[in-house]
Amino acid sequence: MSDALLIADGVHKTYDMGRSQLHVLRGCSLHVAGGEFVAIMGKSGSGKSTLLHILGALDVPQQGQVLFEGRPVFAPPKQRHFYAHALDVLSGYERRRIALRRRAFGFVFQFYHLLPELNVLENVLVARMVGASTCAWPAQRRPARKDTLAILEHVGLSDRLKHRPAELSGGERQRVAIARALVHKPRILFADEPTGNLDAVAGDELMALLKGLHAVGQTIVMVTHDPGIAARADRVLRLEAGVLREG
Amino acid sequence: MYKLFLTLRYLRKRRIAYFAIAAVMLCTAMVLIVMSVMGGFLDQLKSKARGLLGDIIIDNRSYSGFPLYEEFIADISAWPEVVKATPVLYSYGLLRFYDSPQTNTVRVVGLRLEDAYHVNAFKSSLYYERFYPGTTTLAEQQQPLLGFDLRSPPIDWRDERGEVMGQGPRPALPPPYQEALEQSWAAGVRDTESPETEYTTTMQAANLPPIAGIYGVVPGVGEPALMGEEQPGLIIGRDILAKRLPDGRYQRLWQYPRGCLVSLTLLPASEAGTLDTPVKPLLRYADDSRTGIYEIDSQHVYCDFDLLQKLLHMDTAERVDPETGTVIGTAPARCSQIQIKIREGANPRELARRLERHYHGLASDPRFQDQLSLNDIQLIHFIEGMTWEQSQAHIIAPVEKERQLVTILFGIISLVAAVLVLCILYMIVLQKTRDIGIIKAIGGSSAGVALIFITYGAACGVVGSAVGSLLGYYFVIYINDIQDWLTSLNPAWQVWDRSVYSFDAIPNTVRTGDIVAVVVAAILTSTLGSLAAAWRAGRMEPVEALRYE
Repeated sequence: MSDALLIADGVHKTYDMGRSQLHVLRGCSLHVAGGEFVAIMGKSGSGKSTLLHILGALDVPQQGQVLFEGRPVFAPPKQRHFYAHALDVLSGYERRRIALRRRAFGFVFQFYHLLPELNVLENVLVARMVGASTCAWPAQRRPARKDTLAILEHVGLSDRLKHRPAELSGGERQRVAIARALVHKPRILFADEPTGNLDAVAGDELMALLKGLHAVGQTIVMVTHDPGIAARADRVLRLEAGVLREG
Repeated sequence: MYKLFLTLRYLRKRRIAYFAIAAVMLCTAMVLIVMSVMGGFLDQLKSKARGLLGDIIIDNRSYSGFPLYEEFIADISAWPEVVKATPVLYSYGLLRFYDSPQTNTVRVVGLRLEDAYHVNAFKSSLYYERFYPGTTTLAEQQQPLLGFDLRSPPIDWRDERGEVMGQGPRPALPPPYQEALEQSWAAGVRDTESPETEYTTTMQAANLPPIAGIYGVVPGVGEPALMGEEQPGLIIGRDILAKRLPDGRYQRLWQYPRGCLVSLTLLPASEAGTLDTPVKPLLRYADDSRTGIYEIDSQHVYCDFDLLQKLLHMDTAERVDPETGTVIGTAPARCSQIQIKIREGANPRELARRLERHYHGLASDPRFQDQLSLNDIQLIHFIEGMTWEQSQAHIIAPVEKERQLVTILFGIISLVAAVLVLCILYMIVLQKTRDIGIIKAIGGSSAGVALIFITYGAACGVVGSAVGSLLGYYFVIYINDIQDWLTSLNPAWQVWDRSVYSFDAIPNTVRTGDIVAVVVAAILTSTLGSLAAAWRAGRMEPVEALRYE
């Protein structure tokens, strides 16, 4: 418990559907230790992605808290509505969420979510730019570019640097997304159905890549509906009826 | 860093932004052109209105004028701030060229010409004085007639095709006009603006400069001569005796040669404001004046101050008791206005107030108690001292207001650019909703995302206003050429009719201050136009943005 990198405690999430409400998460709790590869499984629409977004500080739960390295990610529940609509410069919690996304968390999405105007190199480099001020960038540009080229070589895309996302296959796009998620050396990599849009071969290649990362100590939290993919994780959690269960 | 990077990338890749840039560009150019033309119009009006006035004007706005002007001028001539002061008279009259049925109502200005040359820019408005320096005078004079210099070697006379018709004497004016003309020739002064005169072809064929203006001609082949009785000179506003051509030049009419006789009917007024019997002196057309303001040039004639004062019965006269008919004293001479040139660095407003106080003080000065009647004292108390700008406020202020009004109207029209920037950026934000989600997912802040679109709007403003100000600048610089070209295509497209407006050409100077003001306003407007889109982009939740279809 004490060595947990990420802790979710009693997370609730409800979507307002007009006349009714959809209670997706009903008190989810989990612990992720450093270096662990955790897979969250569940049926389509069970709330896996919602949970992953909350864990990754992309979304805000109505109740419950997420702790990263022992520090709360979200404001106390009574203040959340205000902070969710306030400029992030006004809220310390909001600024912390942004800082976590910039430096501690990396995301891989099912639909890649690459910026279509940028080429492969720029799509990865932009993640480093986000954390740098305009004044500091000239000094950081060279090491950032070096890291970017190294990570793109690691994912096997060093020959596609100038290509735009529309010119790449699905597997290649997802590898660009992984490179973008890893370029700032995150503490946790969140992967939302990373193989969901890939064929079996590309999916296998991607999982091999993730396993390789995990082998060198990368903490990974992955969401999938595919038991075969989930089986490659250290630990599998099931999300059923809005609650997480082991196995 | 990502903000600048993505802004520049979106500017290059989103071609729709070019419409926003084009809108800002056109609005910037439009406002700059309007400000420059109206500002230039105002500057020209100010400089022309300034031409006939001293730095400070002393006036009581009365047709009867006011007394003690010589004493006042003598007093203030010792003041260190005063360079020169001269009295001026204003009246109204009927002008008639001697052999012509045409009669004009004119405003008659009496001035001391040499003093006026030192006090204001009247000299530069004179046509003949420019080409015949020193010959324009309001003193008595005869009519100069153009003849032939029979003592000089003959010159070739050619026809209009340039073929030699034979040899003939050289056209010449009588002294001192010929000497003055040759003096200006030697100084390189040429009349290149007026339409041709009778001997221009001959002079050109003989490689001689043209004889400026219109002169009467001696009959036959005679020597140049001075003809007729001596009469006082009269300077006439150019729009009274010359035809203004559509290209802005003036064509003097043949029936009004220099020195021809003119009759001027005047109505003298007493110090009490009652009108006496009209007087009708004969004068000679000595020169014509062009200040550049049609209202002045079409109505003003100028004669000698002392002559006009006498004709209007405003000179020193015996004061007679109406009941007994006995002489009871001397009525002081009167003038309508005093124009004063002051030294550089003096404060005209403060000095005008001091001069006014000094004049009011003369009404109770023991030196003049015996000379002044009750009417005289009242006329002095109505005297005001004002700067030339204050005296011309009735001309300048409406144009200044028009300039402000037109600039505001076009500024409001230019808000269309801001609305267009808003619409285009809002559209881009909608198109880029998923990108916004991605940027936020990798750590972009709300403020950072908003700043991308604010910078985008500002960049549209910077590029649009830079190109627009260049476009506006060159449009204004070449505005007269553009108009000439349009007129050459279709005469109906002439916007600036030079025969209607006071000025020959559309004002075409662009002030740096105007460029800076318009560019700053364009960038601000464009940036403001981006705020709504930026606010929407910044407020987007990353998860909602990523799910956007």
